[in-house]
Amino acid sequence: MADFFLQALGQVGSPMVLALITIGVLFGIIGGCIPGFTVTMAILVVFPFTFAMDPVSGVSLMVGVFVGGYSGGLVSGIMLGIPGTPSSITTVYDGYPMAQKGEPGRALGIGVAASFIGTLISVAVLVFFGPLIASYSMKFRPWEITSLIVFALTLVAGLSNGAMLKGLLAAALGLLITTVGYDRNSNLRFDFDLPVLGSGFEILPVMIGIFAFSQLMGNLEKLRDDKSEIKDVNTNVAIPYRQILVDMSRQKINTLRSSLIGSLVGALPGTGGTVANFISYDQAKKMSRHPEKFGTGTPDGIVASEASNSAVAGGAFVPTLALGIPGDLPMAIMMGVLILHGITPGPLMFEQNPVLVGAIYASLLIGAVVMVLCQLLLVRWFAKISLIPQQVLVPVVLMLCAVGAFALNNNLFDVWVLFIFGILGYLLWKAEVPLTPLILGVVLGDNMERQLFRALELDSSWLTFLTRPLSALFLALAVVSLLFSLYQNRKIRLHALETKGE
Amino acid sequence: MLMLTKDRALALAMMLMAGIMLVESGDIPPPTSWQPYGSALFPRILLVLVSALSLLILIRSLLAGAKRADTPRRTFPQWLAHNRTVLGLFLLFGLYAALLPLVGYIAATLGFLVLAFALLLGIDTRRKWIINLTVSGILVPLVYVIFRYGLNVWLP
Repeated sequence: MADFFLQALGQVGSPMVLALITIGVLFGIIGGCIPGFTVTMAILVVFPFTFAMDPVSGVSLMVGVFVGGYSGGLVSGIMLGIPGTPSSITTVYDGYPMAQKGEPGRALGIGVAASFIGTLISVAVLVFFGPLIASYSMKFRPWEITSLIVFALTLVAGLSNGAMLKGLLAAALGLLITTVGYDRNSNLRFDFDLPVLGSGFEILPVMIGIFAFSQLMGNLEKLRDDKSEIKDVNTNVAIPYRQILVDMSRQKINTLRSSLIGSLVGALPGTGGTVANFISYDQAKKMSRHPEKFGTGTPDGIVASEASNSAVAGGAFVPTLALGIPGDLPMAIMMGVLILHGITPGPLMFEQNPVLVGAIYASLLIGAVVMVLCQLLLVRWFAKISLIPQQVLVPVVLMLCAVGAFALNNNLFDVWVLFIFGILGYLLWKAEVPLTPLILGVVLGDNMERQLFRALELDSSWLTFLTRPLSALFLALAVVSLLFSLYQNRKIRLHALETKGE
Repeated sequence: MLMLTKDRALALAMMLMAGIMLVESGDIPPPTSWQPYGSALFPRILLVLVSALSLLILIRSLLAGAKRADTPRRTFPQWLAHNRTVLGLFLLFGLYAALLPLVGYIAATLGFLVLAFALLLGIDTRRKWIINLTVSGILVPLVYVIFRYGLNVWLP
């Protein structure tokens, strides 16, 4: 693997790819620092530009966006008190008070340093555990893979903010979308006598339509309902480097713990930066000698938040690369991009495309360095960019989505697919249906059907899914995740009733 | 009287869709000796699942009763007026998709951006018009040049 990594480093180190990583990081930070834009949206906007690139260049650009996006949220969180992304909510708790006390440069510097270390530690986790899990999962047969997909979908559906039934419905709907068109046996399904449906739906226009429209229209609705005035922000920020070195030297354990929490949470399906953020902040507070200082502008809180959400970047690659199962929405889109470049993420990727795996590691490392440089040198500009109004952003992003969907196959039907799934996504979002399980269903649908029928062709009994230990374990975990979700929902309902009673 | 809540509308729409697709699945070629499970099995499993989950959502919604809405109920014209921005943007995007093959990327995109900015930013001040036309005027040719010459993608 070391040879392949060096080979990949040579490719990623070329001036062209370095420039792409830098562009990706810059765009990711900009995407992350604009409230309501999110990392996922930044990835969606950038992906059409990778179509004409070779896989290493395309993936490096996307990884750059990923690294930049997870760290970008801290800028608006600290300067405006509005988290740029959901994964930087807890950064606001201490970053904003510190900035209000007249130390915005210190808060930003601590956040950037913690983000950098978090990303590095998560890459180490990915480099160590990725191949290990991949080599173990090579033993998986169709029964295990099918059950693992069922487990991943139920876990994500169960974690859908107290809407388990709707989460499961969304996952089933996502799987159903992949059944339109010719199947593996060249039989036509659900074409409704429309020849254009024969080839089915491309994954990317479906994903973009569902996610982008609901998110952008949701942002416009929030804007309509939010009457608060736009904050004035002082962008004259100086970073006190020496002070930050002192601060970070006192945060070694906190940084390590938060980074490991972020890596672990990132590797779990359905969690992502937001969950990592809260768990890590909570743990830092519990372990601190001065928990009362949390929320008042303590460096501990910023470190816990930023180290964990940036560590999600490397952690989230573990299940995607090693198992072919994306952990969260940005990773689902990243997987779609890899598939577009003819690469199927999964254990075989480590054998068939070791250079590309090495390129992902190298891009994450280089991306982390570029991120620190960009953040420290350009922070005042990012603070200004975070003030771009949604009214300007929304039409631009919609236009780029349309161009991206068209450029996929030079096919206008894909723009209609984007639009129709945009309407569907928006309506489902209005009905409070979680969209992440739906998108994961769309990404995993083909593989699930293929593995299910391969299993049945090898052994016609459905019981084999329960008699093979690992397959049975995954199915049992799926049931446990649903039961746990039911228990959680019940607890939340009872708590709400009690609060109402009071 | 039973009210049509979000959950009930969702469940009914999903059951209707599943019903239509179940009927349509009758057109899928049946199993053969070398394809004992056929191509209809997987989607039918999913359709049954979608129907069952929708039914559970409907039952839960009926048992819970209609919650008093946090926002006031609106008449259709009031609802249209309240959501005019979002609806207008959907309409503009639909028009954009329809016009792309007819008038080409540059004219369709320019039209879409200018109208969308006008809808979202407003047209009441000179500054808003300057922002509108500057962003549209720079972005449309820029994206065209990047795709056409940088990425070798022909836009319509």
